[in-house]
Amino acid sequence: MTTWTDLPTMAKIEVVIDGDDVPAMRDLFLDSGATGYTAVTGVSGFGHHGHHKGRLLFNDRASLSMLITVVPIERAEGLIAGIRRLLEDRHGVLFVSETHVSRPDYFT
Amino acid sequence: MTTAPAPPIALSASDRSRLVVDVATAGSIAAPYWPLTSFVAVNPLGGLTDLAFHEAAASARGWFGARTHLPLEAYRAEHARGTVTDADLDRAILRHEPSLVDRQPLDLGGVGVDRLDVVRWDLLHGPTAEPLPPRETGALAVALDEIMMGWCAAFVDEAHTPWQMPDRDHGFYRSWRGVAGADRRLAAVVGRDVRARLRQLPDDPAELLDLVLGDREIDDDRRVNAIRTWILRTPGWAGFARWCDEWAPADRSGVRLRMLDLAAVRAAMDHLAPEHIDLHGPADTVTSSSVPTVTVERRVDAAAAAFGGDGHDGAIAELLGTISDGDRAAIWLAAHEWNFRDRLLARLTGPAATDPTERPVAQLVFCIDVRSEGFRRQLEALGAYETYGFAGFFGVPVRWRPLGSEAAQARCPVLVSPSHEIAEVAIDDDAGYLSTCSATAGLHDAFHAAKGGIASPFALAESAGWFAGPVAAARTLAPPRTSLDSTAGGRAKQPWWKPFGAAPRTAPVVDTATSVDPRVGLSLEERTLFAEAIVTTIGMAEFAPVVVLCGHGSVTTNNPHASSLDCGACGGAPGGASARIAAAILNDTDVRAGLVERGITIADHTWFVAAEHDTAADLVRVFDHDVVPAATRPLIDALQRDLDIAGERNSLDRAKRLPGSAPRVRDRGRDWAEVRPEWGLAGNGAFIIGPRSMTAGHDLRGRSFLHSYVAERDPDGVALETIMTAPLVVAQWISSQYYFSTVEPEVFGAGDKMLHNPVGGIGVVVGQSGDLAVGLPMQSVMLGEQRAHDPLRLLAVVQAPLDRIEGIILRNSGLRKLVDGEWIHVVARASDNDAWSLRTPSGGWEPWHLADASMAEHRTSLSHTDLSTPLSI
Repeated sequence: MTTWTDLPTMAKIEVVIDGDDVPAMRDLFLDSGATGYTAVTGVSGFGHHGHHKGRLLFNDRASLSMLITVVPIERAEGLIAGIRRLLEDRHGVLFVSETHVSRPDYFT
Repeated sequence: MTTAPAPPIALSASDRSRLVVDVATAGSIAAPYWPLTSFVAVNPLGGLTDLAFHEAAASARGWFGARTHLPLEAYRAEHARGTVTDADLDRAILRHEPSLVDRQPLDLGGVGVDRLDVVRWDLLHGPTAEPLPPRETGALAVALDEIMMGWCAAFVDEAHTPWQMPDRDHGFYRSWRGVAGADRRLAAVVGRDVRARLRQLPDDPAELLDLVLGDREIDDDRRVNAIRTWILRTPGWAGFARWCDEWAPADRSGVRLRMLDLAAVRAAMDHLAPEHIDLHGPADTVTSSSVPTVTVERRVDAAAAAFGGDGHDGAIAELLGTISDGDRAAIWLAAHEWNFRDRLLARLTGPAATDPTERPVAQLVFCIDVRSEGFRRQLEALGAYETYGFAGFFGVPVRWRPLGSEAAQARCPVLVSPSHEIAEVAIDDDAGYLSTCSATAGLHDAFHAAKGGIASPFALAESAGWFAGPVAAARTLAPPRTSLDSTAGGRAKQPWWKPFGAAPRTAPVVDTATSVDPRVGLSLEERTLFAEAIVTTIGMAEFAPVVVLCGHGSVTTNNPHASSLDCGACGGAPGGASARIAAAILNDTDVRAGLVERGITIADHTWFVAAEHDTAADLVRVFDHDVVPAATRPLIDALQRDLDIAGERNSLDRAKRLPGSAPRVRDRGRDWAEVRPEWGLAGNGAFIIGPRSMTAGHDLRGRSFLHSYVAERDPDGVALETIMTAPLVVAQWISSQYYFSTVEPEVFGAGDKMLHNPVGGIGVVVGQSGDLAVGLPMQSVMLGEQRAHDPLRLLAVVQAPLDRIEGIILRNSGLRKLVDGEWIHVVARASDNDAWSLRTPSGGWEPWHLADASMAEHRTSLSHTDLSTPLSI
């Protein structure tokens, strides 16, 4: 019987960034060979820079966004290098983890 | 002669990613450039708002070689006019150099001289900068810039050239590399072997950049500056690339000019050229400047001579040495702002206008646009009308698809991504109308395509000249008049070629349940949410029998910048459609039932009506007469008469500031030879958030955005947070655009409108070729040598508890940067019984008081000139 750990392993990359920086991050994802991404706008919470307001009624850019993508392990390093460069002078956090996917062809 | 490059080595994925990010960082200094079809005002220094205003200004002077303040002579002229006083200057000086308060007087030859007097003298009378000789930019680099800009125009062209660059889908760099070998101008600059050398360049733009940066020995730390130097050779096109990268709708048709490609093409040209551009960027972005400056030594000598001291004794030199030439401009700007702030707050201090005992017969919600202020004042004087201010998209962020159109356009601030589409549908049979529309639109498109082509104008002149020639002569000699029949049509602004009079009655489809297209409309919950937001944000508690939602647009002709006069809150489009959508939502019985559950009761007899204010003609047209209940029609007819009178009075008021014949002021928009159909938002200076009772009865000279807000009805501060994070931010962009278009029309403005040529269907260039002209035309902010706009940073005036305001500023980082960095000044009071307080950049609040107490005594007489821009005196 197949368990979830038998599913193909890939890299899941999650970043939380200012809404203004989403386009640059999105382009970086796609330029690095990611086949897609998920965006969650209006992210709220508390962190290094204090409280972060969630969704605003008429400004999609002023709040934080989370972008999530899954790439083959061999493409992760290049993408992560770009993200780290982007975060050198911008607010944001990066999470990288291994994940298992049922449809690897979606991500390659 | 440049040696042939080594064969390119493929970039690693990591290096490539880092390079892509560096290009984005380098390009972020360019303000995004929206196509003129939906012109959006932007802060040309918007990429520098992480810095405080004065730091960003210094950086911009270095990078753009541009002025960021008025010349000292212009500020001194303001002082001579009385719009900056000695008291204003002293306050600004002491803010800049607080230590002057406690310092001993200067000892000049045994005579004690107040240090403040010396600094003030230097500001008022000290030597000013000599104009610099023409900038040495290098003829070869300039020639390559010209070639580059021509290729940019060819790449993005959608309509005007019969030939299109090949492989545009593969990006600008690849497309250019494929054809540039045949460019004789390029060959003349870089050499006849250009074709062979282009073939040796990498096919990938990132690899090209890596190759050239390596060839020039630019290390990682200097890479952003180097790329930025290439990008800013063409700041207008860089702005368009930034728009394509960051702001263009995902479903936009047309080619995409990427910043990566733009940088790669300019880098490639630089690489091929026999002389290279210096890639080190501004030597010192804080002090280096291409704008004129004057040495401290000259200023010290002049001050010493004036005060009888010895410039070499060090005392004056020490004093003035702490105040650079850039500081002098900053102090003048601050003084000018103090004066405006004092005059406005003096006006708004004291008892508020009493609530009228008479219940309003109608309430009218206008856009916050500064042009609404005068109209609202004129209308309120005519009867029991209660007016409000709200962003002109009325809080409904949607894409609007007009009748007969396949394309939908966003009708909301660009800060919002609309997720819903609303379509206009015909109530009557529309087959004949749509057929005629299609035919006339095709004829129109064919005519203009032929006119814009390279060879086709000759054939067009032969075939259609017999018709077009006399029409053009007639339009020139006898410009059409504006029809003052405000009931005519009742439809939103139309292209001239659409068949007038035959249009069917239409309605917006706001309910998904009644839409045949599942993508169109809003659910009941969404409609109820938007309705609640409209009512609560502006603090409406009771409703008159008629509530008018009045959007605005400006009907002008032969004006590439026409959309700059439309509604900014509607994304540079007229606001009538948004008003119709919001009215339809608020008239919906299901929505009203939902509002009752949320504590908002709108009586059955209240009817919401949509209207649109043509700001060029001062005409308000009410939409959808036919669906108004019979009992309400007499009220609307009476209101329409008063709207007509208010429009007439407002236009006469506007005529005082416009050149030319006053009786024809309402026809200026129809005159295709008129370069100044109206003043737009020129003069804007303040954004007032509070109840109308704060400002009612005051002539604010069309200088203030007015956003209604009642703090008592917003205990959790949600409405205020919405206002301060969206409309206030958009107003700051507008304010900055007017500011910089005024202080530096050639760099941050669009230059002389008389020389504009449309390019690529997206913008204009000044003259035959060149960079995309950003900002506003000179004619939008100047009348000859006279300014029509006071370049001041936006002043936000808020009536709300200070801790609520402070909390909003602190938890919204973008807003906080604008306030802490003094891009926006904030003054506030909790209620009209409280004194005003100023928000300091460090986060505290301090009491406001008049610099010149006599101003308060003359408060009631400050009726005409105290808030005036130069042209209104």
